[in-house]
Amino acid sequence: MGVARLLKTTALALLLAQPALAEGKKAEVLHWWTSAGEAAAIKVFADAYNAAGGEWVDNGVGGDDTAKNLLASRIAGGNPPQVGQFNTSREYEEFVAAGLLEPLDAVSGPGNWDGLVPSIFQGLVKRDGHYYAVPVNIHGSNWLWYNMAAFETAGATPPTDWDSFFAAAEKLKAAGIIPLAQGGEAWQERITFYSVMLSVGGRDFYLKFIQDKDEATVRSDKMKEVIAVYTKLRDLVRETDAASPGRSWNEATQMVVTGKAGMQIMGDWAKGEFTAANMEAGKDYGCVPAVTAGGPYQVSGDVFVFPKTGNAADLEAQMLMAQTMIDAKVQVDFNLKKGSVPVRPDVDVAAFDTCSQQALQITANNDLIVGSTDMYATADLTGALQDVYTTYWNSTEMTADELVEKIVEAMKAAG
Amino acid sequence: MAATDINAPAVGPSGIRPKHLTVGRVGLYLALTLAAIFFLAPLYVMIVTSLKSMDEIRQGNVIALPEAASLAAWTRAWAEACTGLRCEGIQVGFWNSVRILIPSLIVSIMAGSIVGYVLSYWKFRGSELFYGLLLFGAFVPYQIIIYPLIRVFSTIGLYGSLPAIVVIHTVLGLPIMVLIFRNFYSTLPSELFKAARIDGAGFFALYWYVLLPISKPIFVVALILQVTGIWNDFLLGLIFGGSENMPMTVQLNNIVATFQGEVEFNTNMAATMLTAIVPLAVYFVSGRWFVRGITQGAVKG
Amino acid sequence: MRLSSRITSRLVVSPFVVVAIFTFVLCVLWSAQLSFTSSKIFPAYDYVGFKQYTRLFANERWILSFQNMLIFGICLISGALVIGFLLAVMIDQSVKWESFWRTVFLYPNALSFVVTGLAWQWLLNPSLGLPELVRHLGWTDFKLNLLGEQKTALYAVSIAAVWQASGLVMALCLAGLRGIDGEIWKATRIDGVPRWKTYLHIVIPMLGPIFFTAIVLLSLSVVKGFDLVVAMTNGGPGTATEVPAKFVIDHIQIRANVGLAMAGATVMLISVVAALAPWVYVQKRRKEARG
Repeated sequence: MGVARLLKTTALALLLAQPALAEGKKAEVLHWWTSAGEAAAIKVFADAYNAAGGEWVDNGVGGDDTAKNLLASRIAGGNPPQVGQFNTSREYEEFVAAGLLEPLDAVSGPGNWDGLVPSIFQGLVKRDGHYYAVPVNIHGSNWLWYNMAAFETAGATPPTDWDSFFAAAEKLKAAGIIPLAQGGEAWQERITFYSVMLSVGGRDFYLKFIQDKDEATVRSDKMKEVIAVYTKLRDLVRETDAASPGRSWNEATQMVVTGKAGMQIMGDWAKGEFTAANMEAGKDYGCVPAVTAGGPYQVSGDVFVFPKTGNAADLEAQMLMAQTMIDAKVQVDFNLKKGSVPVRPDVDVAAFDTCSQQALQITANNDLIVGSTDMYATADLTGALQDVYTTYWNSTEMTADELVEKIVEAMKAAG
Repeated sequence: MAATDINAPAVGPSGIRPKHLTVGRVGLYLALTLAAIFFLAPLYVMIVTSLKSMDEIRQGNVIALPEAASLAAWTRAWAEACTGLRCEGIQVGFWNSVRILIPSLIVSIMAGSIVGYVLSYWKFRGSELFYGLLLFGAFVPYQIIIYPLIRVFSTIGLYGSLPAIVVIHTVLGLPIMVLIFRNFYSTLPSELFKAARIDGAGFFALYWYVLLPISKPIFVVALILQVTGIWNDFLLGLIFGGSENMPMTVQLNNIVATFQGEVEFNTNMAATMLTAIVPLAVYFVSGRWFVRGITQGAVKG
Repeated sequence: MRLSSRITSRLVVSPFVVVAIFTFVLCVLWSAQLSFTSSKIFPAYDYVGFKQYTRLFANERWILSFQNMLIFGICLISGALVIGFLLAVMIDQSVKWESFWRTVFLYPNALSFVVTGLAWQWLLNPSLGLPELVRHLGWTDFKLNLLGEQKTALYAVSIAAVWQASGLVMALCLAGLRGIDGEIWKATRIDGVPRWKTYLHIVIPMLGPIFFTAIVLLSLSVVKGFDLVVAMTNGGPGTATEVPAKFVIDHIQIRANVGLAMAGATVMLISVVAALAPWVYVQKRRKEARG
């Protein structure tokens, strides 16, 4: 240990002894936005940063898990990029606690972030009065998307609750259209589960479940209702769409785009797919926030963090980047491309479409929003729960009671 | 056994060569053909898919030859496919992989052969234990030791560079390389070694003038194993290489894992084939050496 | 001269000994040490005894992963051994175009698991792959979704793995067959022993060490087998194709529980050593007996 520390100090000293690079504000940005729509969004940041006198070095790695693992390894290993992406969650709290991320006081103070950043994100980007991450967007994960032409063909009406949802599904099925396009990956089955839970159980039920890990809530009758709807959805997909397992979310969205399928439950990042296919919200495709209109809206988002590199030039570049990303105009341009809504309330939202307008209205009301599960529980527990939902979704034998038992077990094991 | 005759072709087949075609022979060729179909099917399907347009792929006949074969998907995969803001295809990754492969190959094979040589002829106290440790090392999943290795590499300032990736391939390739070289050297007659020693040959002279000239078959085996292992590596390149040295497999992942709209199966398949070309070529060219090399090396241990 | 050569050999090998000890002893011990802590993302040295191990064995996904590894291992090892041996025997019958057959059976070995995974995923795709072809041929209601069903997904992954690994076994067996003394064939032919009996009673036992090498190599890829699963199913549908290596990796990073991950890794390593130690011992004994 002693030798390692000595070596490390020497290495650090050598690093510091090097003259700061003259070229200045060069920043490597490690992110996972590599698909066409996502790339268009991150290009807004890159262009704005370059225009502000920086030099954006793009490092997009496909797959959020791969990119996050790489970022975590590089921060822990002492060779971080200047800028890295995480989700707005607790997944970087240990890095903050270990003092590996730059505090953003130089930007957040003058920029009055306390007044800008939505209160639901405050606890996740701020610690002991310092900001450590720039939130860049507000996504909603529980949306229902539907193809208007397909609904017209089938003579179905857009759902506002689960009864009308299944009625529409029947009509679509009768018209030879796959009612619900479901991607077959574990996280998508998780999104579906919580979408159902929020619309059936409501905000308090959800918080009791994920924040308090309350056993009585898990064993309640309300929970049985949630599972009943989830089961019905599962059986619908199984009956109408055998190719679902393994399918990615954007393939599923594509089915709705082409009218092969009628509906999809997915976050608003799906909007990028509709936009790329030149479809217009409210005209070619419709959206129901919180799946059954009125239920609580589950928000999530992305942040960028700025790992300490011990280099003054890097610090300057990092602060410029933070400044750029939260800039009012950049926020609008970026979120228009990304399908999400800006984190700051003081921007001109006239350019946003009808779906985003609904999102803007809802997110302005704190009583209507909840955070994604990883804002309340450890990655360990949310992962274990996801295992349970996906097992149930894909099993032919597991009963609803067993599902309840396994949820209780997972919560107990995570302590 | 046949060590004095090491560069001669392997012993011939043991089956009897029949004078004329019998029912058994027909059955034999039928079985071989069926097996060949099973083994070639995925390759065939990948190639035809990469030559088709998306419209044709949607028609769903995976084994049909393309109606209008086109290399469009191949050029797209090579030079145009986008990942993030870069639309350069996987060509950059190809050259990165070449830059990783060549030094890693040379260093790791030389290391394996030298250590194998020491373990066969210059045994030291604990050399058996060292050999056992390497055997054990072959079974350690990378994922377990990656974290401490990252720390060490960044402490010595190597992390995220080309040398880092070369060193890591050498270290993690050491067990299997030493294994095959040691086994090979241990089959050589000890007279060979003793005679040269009496003639006054030293450590390096023995290795260079006596062993190297007769080690060709085992070097081919080592080459094949390492080309495949290093070229196909994803995890180590991603983590240790740094963003300037991302190997081709990482870019393949980026292209395959991310897309907008429809999955472009033809581009994916072309990118996949392009990534597989180098190890495939090595197999096709030196495959005949492989069986011979195994006969003389890996097996007899 | 003699002394200096000896010293040179020590000097040459010493850095490798140091590196090997560091990598395969210290790093592994460190990992094992972490399995007794409650480390999340960073190492924490707050010892919690065997808590992570009790958690591990109460964890259904771990149990399932372990079972899957065993099933996958049995399928892969037996499948590849049988197919590889049969191919080698067939090639060894003085067939024409020998190098063609050999190359055809061996080439999948050159591919990365990612490539293999993509190829088979594409072949087995229920709406565009082989099942669609069968429907084209006339069985219009044919349905086969090997990768999409929980009960069959693991076997679909096994098929792809056997496809990739059989060639290596073939090459090893072929090498072994070529090493068998021609006199044995002559002798059995004169005695009128049927060919299949010769293979069964004489050749297979003689190939013992070869099968051993093959089993060791195959079990290596079973334990480390992670890439193929990730490329083909990513553990799904549901958790049907989860494997221990994936459990460990998921918990190191995404699930931020290094303590539990290292407990899993340690169990993996111990079980591999436990499974192979008797084999290695037997082989060593046999070799010593031979001289």
